[in-house]
Amino acid sequence: MEKEELKNLWKKVLGVLELQISKPNFVTWLKNSALIEIKNDVWVIALPNNFAKEWIENKYLKIILNACREENPFVKKIEFVVDDKYFQKEKSDEILEEKPLLSFRVDPETGLNPRYSLKSFVVGSSNELAYNAGMAIIKEVGIKYNPFFVYGGVGVGKTHFIQMIGNEILRIYKNKIKPRYVPSEKFTNDIVWAIRNKRMDDIKKKYRDVDVLIIDDIQFIGGKEKTEEEFFHTFNSLYQNNKQIIISSDRPPQSIPVLEERLRSRFEGGLIVDISYPDYEMRVAIIKNKLQERNKNLNEEIIHFIAKKIKRNIREIEGVLNKILFYQENKGRELSFNETEEIINKTIEGIYKKVDEEQIIKAISKFFNISEEELLSRKRNKNLVEPRQIFIYLLRELAGAPYTYIAKKTGRDHTTAIHAYKKIEEEINKNSKLYDKILLIKESIFKE
Amino acid sequence: MKLVVTKTNLKNCLKVIEGVIKNDANLSILKNILIDADGDEIKLTSTNLEIAITSVLNGKILEKGKTTVLFDVFFNIINNLQLERLNLNLIDSKIELITDNYSAILNTQPVDEFPIIPKIKNDKEFIEIKGGILKEAINQIISSAQTTETRPELNSVLFLFNIENIKLTTTDGIRLSEKTIPNTQFESNFENKFNILIPLKTINELNKILNEDDVLKIFIDENQILFKTQRFELISRLTSGSFPDYEAVVPKEFKTEIVLNKEELISAIKLTSIFTNKTMGINIKTNINKKIIEIFSQNQTIGENKYILQSKIKGEEKEIIFNWKYLLDGLKNIKTEEVFLGLNEENKPALIKAPGDNYYFYILMPILSV
Repeated sequence: MEKEELKNLWKKVLGVLELQISKPNFVTWLKNSALIEIKNDVWVIALPNNFAKEWIENKYLKIILNACREENPFVKKIEFVVDDKYFQKEKSDEILEEKPLLSFRVDPETGLNPRYSLKSFVVGSSNELAYNAGMAIIKEVGIKYNPFFVYGGVGVGKTHFIQMIGNEILRIYKNKIKPRYVPSEKFTNDIVWAIRNKRMDDIKKKYRDVDVLIIDDIQFIGGKEKTEEEFFHTFNSLYQNNKQIIISSDRPPQSIPVLEERLRSRFEGGLIVDISYPDYEMRVAIIKNKLQERNKNLNEEIIHFIAKKIKRNIREIEGVLNKILFYQENKGRELSFNETEEIINKTIEGIYKKVDEEQIIKAISKFFNISEEELLSRKRNKNLVEPRQIFIYLLRELAGAPYTYIAKKTGRDHTTAIHAYKKIEEEINKNSKLYDKILLIKESIFKE
Repeated sequence: MKLVVTKTNLKNCLKVIEGVIKNDANLSILKNILIDADGDEIKLTSTNLEIAITSVLNGKILEKGKTTVLFDVFFNIINNLQLERLNLNLIDSKIELITDNYSAILNTQPVDEFPIIPKIKNDKEFIEIKGGILKEAINQIISSAQTTETRPELNSVLFLFNIENIKLTTTDGIRLSEKTIPNTQFESNFENKFNILIPLKTINELNKILNEDDVLKIFIDENQILFKTQRFELISRLTSGSFPDYEAVVPKEFKTEIVLNKEELISAIKLTSIFTNKTMGINIKTNINKKIIEIFSQNQTIGENKYILQSKIKGEEKEIIFNWKYLLDGLKNIKTEEVFLGLNEENKPALIKAPGDNYYFYILMPILSV
């Protein structure tokens, strides 16, 4: 019998019992109980402790048996087992994160996390180009593509990819080539620390004394002048000495709004590749890979189901997977299809909440660096046309606004609105730049 | 039921069972204690349905019987009694409490409403250990257990029976401590190894009521544990689930080894901690040439301070940040005059123990600097 059925059946029995036993007694002894198995008309009931078992066996056996027989007249016998795992409080998500003491550790010399290995990296059409370039760099460090600039949306595996290159270099060249991985935030913090403590030389040494410098999420240094300057010098010094530089960002260099021109042109001097969202087959492969990493198994159907449901972010896939594995372990059995679906839906709901137009306006004006008034004005400046069209598109796409409303909002008639929407909808599939832009705007909306 | 007992005995007995009385229980009978004088001894029992404690009361049974009585009121009376000798008589459903100058009549609740205390099935195999030894072990490891109940397995003490020793371990994910009790300090007729998780509450309760000179017997069933002395019996459920596999985390060798005076280190930490901020981090920095370690902390709004300590150092220079409270927790568990501090990279656990002691260690994760 399915778990759900057992649960519902027991609920009915408890309903009958509740009428016969005083409230405090019911709450104390029977509220935490579960029907876990029916075998040959023997019902097995789990209880949280021996006290409950003793008490129920001695005092309530008869009325429970009678109540069960109301549901099923053939019940022969009731057995009680003590097993508190059915009653432990639902654990919060927070504990899904591994605690530092017991998790993978980052190598302090290189900043690389050994978890991001080549073995666990799944290659597919969305990252094939990047992968091939990466392999070429590993073969000829510092010579082939320098600097190497990788960009892509949130959770497409950028960090995994660039750390994997570092780990591979470490593995192949042992100690001859020294890589260092640093998120740009850490880089900024180091600079701030160095300025405060007057130890700039230490920082210079730390970052210039490497053979491969890997910087993650470079877009965050945009607008931080001192950091940009220090990075610029570091970059030059490494570049002149033929040291490999690998950079990741969530958007191409020309779309990082406040990045200094001289830095941008340097990034553009090397190879720029993008990683886009994984396709279905890749997602399945990624899930399988992750399961293998953890030595866990999951029903094939469920794997495909997750891959089908979560289309974009790999981190989301991982989150859902973690949850499913966790529940499975906790319950000591495979999850049913419905339960899986519930977990996935719950997770996705949290991510794709409803957005209102204020958020869209904010995100677009921020992205294109224009004011909110300009966006909504009737001005026909060329630089406003695209943002406005995207605005119309997103207003319909995300907020579900009707054309008449959109027309009123933007001060145009509704055929213009229809035209703008159709145009973007068409373009988006052909023009990958536009696609990226919209993706980034959407991300910044959902992030809030 | 007719009993004659002394106030002191009764009071001590009530103190033993006090800890598991639940005054906010749904079931009002759980606020009561069971007074059982049906056999040759007078036994008092309380339970919160996770733990039950029975304590033996020395006294004279004039007439056998049993009843239950509200703990709170009963304890209050006994605490404030002037005279030593008192009589307890059960008359119908009321209990009469009489001394030479005081008398009270208390309502009771029927005995058959009181929970049935489970029994241990396996009463052949047990561990026998002196109370003092177990108490010392508990005190050394208790501080690193997780105090919240989000992860029941960490809100417990791992009790590992290896025949040649017993290991007690706790961790909250940031700290971990392990105490080994060699089999010269206990006796046992268990033939197989086993490991169980004892809830932290149970261990705390045991630690509270156990005396140094008690001889404790430990019995174990599939999902419960019984601690038995001449004075009391404590039975508790065990935590289900499994403890993290921690062996791999315990550092076996160190890049830097430091030995220094424990009291000095404790006062240095206490003093420098005044300047720490919310992260509670203090830096420990070695200087091998000068044979010192520097302990310093800073806070942008207050200022900064530094403490210098003479010490023996071997290995590499290190500068690592620790949570000072966690550091103190570990040092407090060290019984020797000097303490050993083993350091590795700034993101790997450090280890604290008494120099040359292989029976106890405390490890903790540094605070990662930004």
